[in-house]
Amino acid sequence: MNNTSIFIQTVIGGVGIGSLYALIALGYSMVYRSMGLVNFAHGSIYMVGTYFGIMWYAGLVMGLHVPYPIAFVIGVLLNGAFGVLLERILRPLAKLDLMFMLLGTIGLGYVLDNLFVIIFGAEGFAVRSPLPSMPLVILGVRIQPQMLLVIGVSAILMVALQLFLARTKTGKAMRASAMDRDIASAMGVRVNRMNALTLAIGSGLAAAAGILAAPIVYVNPAMGAAVGLKGFAAAILGGLGSIPGAIAGGLIFGVLEAISAGYISSAYTRGIAFIVVVVVLMVKPSGIVGEITVEKV
Amino acid sequence: MAILDGTSGSPTRKKPSVGKWALYGAIGIILLAVPAIAQNPYQVHILNMAGIYILISLGLNIAMGFAGQFNLAMGPLWGVGAYTAAILNTRYGIPFWLNLPASMVVTGAIGALVGLPSLKVRSHYLAIVTIGLGEVINIILLNQEKLTGGALGIPKIAMPGFFGIPLNNDRRFYYLILVVVVLGYLLARQILGHRIGRSFRAVRDDFQAARAMGIDTTYYQVLAFAISAVYAGAAGALFAHLNTYISPDIFEFSSTLFVMTMTMVGGMGSLAGSVIGGLALPILQELLRVIKNWQLVVYGVAIMVVVLFVPGGVVEIARRLRESSANRKSRSSQSIAAAEQAEDSGVP
Repeated sequence: MNNTSIFIQTVIGGVGIGSLYALIALGYSMVYRSMGLVNFAHGSIYMVGTYFGIMWYAGLVMGLHVPYPIAFVIGVLLNGAFGVLLERILRPLAKLDLMFMLLGTIGLGYVLDNLFVIIFGAEGFAVRSPLPSMPLVILGVRIQPQMLLVIGVSAILMVALQLFLARTKTGKAMRASAMDRDIASAMGVRVNRMNALTLAIGSGLAAAAGILAAPIVYVNPAMGAAVGLKGFAAAILGGLGSIPGAIAGGLIFGVLEAISAGYISSAYTRGIAFIVVVVVLMVKPSGIVGEITVEKV
Repeated sequence: MAILDGTSGSPTRKKPSVGKWALYGAIGIILLAVPAIAQNPYQVHILNMAGIYILISLGLNIAMGFAGQFNLAMGPLWGVGAYTAAILNTRYGIPFWLNLPASMVVTGAIGALVGLPSLKVRSHYLAIVTIGLGEVINIILLNQEKLTGGALGIPKIAMPGFFGIPLNNDRRFYYLILVVVVLGYLLARQILGHRIGRSFRAVRDDFQAARAMGIDTTYYQVLAFAISAVYAGAAGALFAHLNTYISPDIFEFSSTLFVMTMTMVGGMGSLAGSVIGGLALPILQELLRVIKNWQLVVYGVAIMVVVLFVPGGVVEIARRLRESSANRKSRSSQSIAAAEQAEDSGVP
């Protein structure tokens, strides 16, 4: 084991965790772009999505042990449907000032978190990885198979999202309604339906992140708080509302965390990542790929 | 109900009438008699905690409600105040009475630092920056073990005495908190009625116009953060000496959320709102204990209902009630003027 391979190992770990943050950051950014809503309940939606998938895999429903890929798909779809439901609740919040939006969505997060405590209990559980736990050794670099799965699936999802938004009619309609609500609806785009679809996609991506992360982290109803905050920081870091920004922000945040944990101090990991976010925003106040906002005069 | 006036600290307010003085007197007597009325020390303890929360909420209200500055580091700043007092007391044996101003100064200075990014970033970007800096404070509290005792926290903080009377239980400590909260409230009214308060509102309502009017926005933005942190610092010193034990988990982001919730339920942009919210939420939490796990679900639903239907909080409900009763009495120009005035003082 030399220093280079340890470094590569650290970065790969960071990219793995970072792609989870990116999937969550995408939810924040897409919803912000289309509805103008900063959804602080997104961390809880991630938790809900994790349960929606993992409950089939881990035998929480009638002792069923559905294969991991099927549980994954069920979880993503269920959480997507849940996102459509949430659009109805969040719609009035999107018209409010940021302060009220913040508190309203936090209130929704409380409700979700604590409903899941009532349903599944406050204690969490560990989830067995569907892949062998023996690390793969490639050119002296040791990689957890689950980490490769995380990176691979996340990459596929991000590419699919880009293609969907760029190539399909629905994707174009979504972008149009995000760009200008009134004109899009004048052109016959059903804006509310597009918002519901946006929330469905955001929630589905959050569920994907959660189900992928489940074998690495500990699944419990409080799992959304920290990850939700980091996903939001990642979205802000990249520039809230920007899709490439969310992906870049997530990856940067994850790699930063991994490097500071590996080389500086594991105790201060969280702090270092947040300090970098603060410094970046001081230099570029609208994030890395954020649009420059013109202040009203 | 003068206490519910939305425009606390307005320079044009009328002198309270005899009836209002009587009301103030009655409230004063009830406040003084609380420790005697309370059935057990625990009830007084909840009120003491409410007093501490009212202080933090007043600070948050000044920064967020009046100056429009997102300070979501209030919980960790409260922790800075508590740790300052705890370290000075347990290490150097310094009594509460010196720790209180020390905590206010230290926390105020750190609060000003937290406020520096507000000069560059705004709205949700500022929100995440202050949340992030709060996290950093909390991580330092957790990991500087030599100074802060790490996750185990600091035990055995001495309770204060007052000229030989030990304030060593909740009933006695109550009066200390009462005095500090009343002073804090009056000070906040002074600040907001002063040029500082008017500049805060100008910065909140129209940043560019405030600048054009020659208001030093940089100074007032940082000052808003510093003042809010001074309140958090005072609350921290009180909390450390009341609880005699502190640990970092008390001052996590969730404590910021709790204070923000109570401020918004009471009424953001109204000092009375801080008092009402600060009293109501800790008491509500106790009452909701009966329904156990459903407690926080109900709590979350309540927050959403407030945000969606009465965004001005309890203060707004009181105002609406007063307005409708005033309208019923007379549709004279007076009530229209009152309505307009109330509208001016509305939440941002």
